[in-house]
Amino acid sequence: MTDMSASAGPTTRLSNNQMLIRDMIMPGILLAFATYLLIGSFTMNVPEGTIFPGPRFFPGIVIIGLYLLAVVLIIESIRERRHDERWQGDMVDPTAIDHIAIDWRSFTWVVGGFLGFALLLSTLGWVIAAGALFWCVARGFGEKNLVAAAIAGFTVSSLTYIGFAMVLGLQLPSGLFGWGV
Amino acid sequence: MEVLGLLAEGFAGALTPANLVWVLIGCILGMAVGVMPGLGSSMAVALLLPVTFALDPTAAFIMFSGVYFGGLFGDSTMSILVNMPGQASAIASTFEGHKMALNGRAAQALATAAIGAFIGGMISSCIVVFMAPALADLSSQFGPAEFFALALFAFVATSSVVTDNAAKGLATLFVGLGIATIGVDGVSGAPRFTMGSPYLFDGVSLVTVTVAVLALGEVIFMACLQRHTAAGGQLITPTGRPWLSREEFAEALPAWLRGTAIGLPFGVVPAGGADIPTFLAYGLEKNLDARSKNPKFGTTGAIRGLAAPEAAANSTTGMAMGALLALGLPISATAALMLAAFRQYGLQPGPLLFERSADLVWSLLASFFIAMVVLLILNLPFAMVWAKLLLIPRPYLYGGITVVCGLGIYAVSGRLFDLLVLLGVGLVGFVMRSADYPLAPLIIGMVLGPLAETSLRDAAMSSNGDFMVLLKGPIPIFLYTVLLLILIWTVRGKIMASRKAKQEAGV
Repeated sequence: MTDMSASAGPTTRLSNNQMLIRDMIMPGILLAFATYLLIGSFTMNVPEGTIFPGPRFFPGIVIIGLYLLAVVLIIESIRERRHDERWQGDMVDPTAIDHIAIDWRSFTWVVGGFLGFALLLSTLGWVIAAGALFWCVARGFGEKNLVAAAIAGFTVSSLTYIGFAMVLGLQLPSGLFGWGV
Repeated sequence: MEVLGLLAEGFAGALTPANLVWVLIGCILGMAVGVMPGLGSSMAVALLLPVTFALDPTAAFIMFSGVYFGGLFGDSTMSILVNMPGQASAIASTFEGHKMALNGRAAQALATAAIGAFIGGMISSCIVVFMAPALADLSSQFGPAEFFALALFAFVATSSVVTDNAAKGLATLFVGLGIATIGVDGVSGAPRFTMGSPYLFDGVSLVTVTVAVLALGEVIFMACLQRHTAAGGQLITPTGRPWLSREEFAEALPAWLRGTAIGLPFGVVPAGGADIPTFLAYGLEKNLDARSKNPKFGTTGAIRGLAAPEAAANSTTGMAMGALLALGLPISATAALMLAAFRQYGLQPGPLLFERSADLVWSLLASFFIAMVVLLILNLPFAMVWAKLLLIPRPYLYGGITVVCGLGIYAVSGRLFDLLVLLGVGLVGFVMRSADYPLAPLIIGMVLGPLAETSLRDAAMSSNGDFMVLLKGPIPIFLYTVLLLILIWTVRGKIMASRKAKQEAGV
């Protein structure tokens, strides 16, 4: 299929330090989540008369596990990147995912498009919001023909509205088009 | 032969015209999502699960069994024609399947895969029908200690044994366990980690999290990273006869049966689903082939090398439904989603399901057989039509997937809040996907976390805080022993592999 190779845009390779920073994102999420649970444990209103093990017991195990794993993962990735540095080039596959920079334009179109869809869905209604979401994601995937993508998007959103809201009776907001349900 | 009578009633319930339409729709949708590039059967289930909630339970589950098996049938199409497996359990099919396609036997390869999936699914469904009630009887005697042992087994197996990096697998498992603790605690009634927000009192929906990590996270990953790697080959257009000659059939038959036999036991072992059995089945065929006088593997594509893993994948998946129905224990991410579907309808799979909702269970089991026949019909003559789906431009394909994600989640909850959770967890899923963290442990952790917690607390409370009670009874001791043996075996294998790598690096 020609489409698959054509959609690949320019790629930027990351330096070793940039890769190390990216490796830290997930341990960072683990630490943040563990801290959220820890604070939640301290501020939890446990009803009186709760016997051991109470509602804090199991989350406590999870919190300890998350902190430990975050530390292990940080140490692991630092060691791995040092190892990569020594083996520069020959052992490391340059086309591997972790060497490629994130395409921030695509990211903005997809994530921004979904955020806009979520926030505006009840105002705009399903047909417009979902059609726009389709269009944004298609742009994020490098679609050049913007008119055709818009037509496809509104076809999909209208068909899903007819199928799910009108035939199956799901609750979808009608929004600006105050017809239908 | 009480079972056959019940099954006949199930067929009577499932074979109404309306239900046949649902199973057909389910098969077509499941196939369609399974066939699409980069989408596997677990994504098919995740995307289509919320959509089925508009139906009544029986119709929904009948449609769902179509989706569940349809996704698996569809998985192999992409592996064979483009050499891009939709998910890990389809990797083993690419080796010989794609070689067959390269040598002008694409249509026969698709037929081999479809018949293999059919045989694996049919045999496992038969076994499930006879085994599930007995298994349900056995599990009705399970107490907290047994359930905790089963959950722990599933945690360790999915996070450490089947993944490359145990720390990464455990990390996603613990995220899943953590998410599952959010909401009002069922035992004490204390709201946990809700920040006082009523949105979080019921906890974070499993459906939202699964759609987020399996579908939305995947879309972001594809857009920002995956499409910039030059991966993905040429689509081979299948030509020629889409059926097998008698010789080919005779050649593939032993492989289908061996593959099925390998896949069956993995359906009840909580070790992440069909990934391991497909590779085992492939490896067995390869070894057998190497001993024969006329080795066929690795050259023009061996039909047996494709037949065995396909049969194994579907027999594991069929058995997994049995384990889910009888024990309430999901062995893979896809099975976990089916569990979520049951819960959405207020049904709890496990021993009581066979007593309380016998009609539904037997209609569901009957619809497995119907789905399998429908899928074989949909696959054999129409394999070329399905391949046309691969021609949908990727921007449109992923645009459509994102819209379906939003549709499903909004339709279930009707709240903006859940769409924001979907996006947030989807971003975490994207980070995990790009840093090569396994996703299945997160879902298993979220599904089995509450079971592990309640059984742990029940056991400890009934014995005044003495955790040794968890080690009492033959079943827990047996499970822990097996788990320990598997762990020792895995650690040993990993140490040997790293020694070997060091030696090779030293040369």
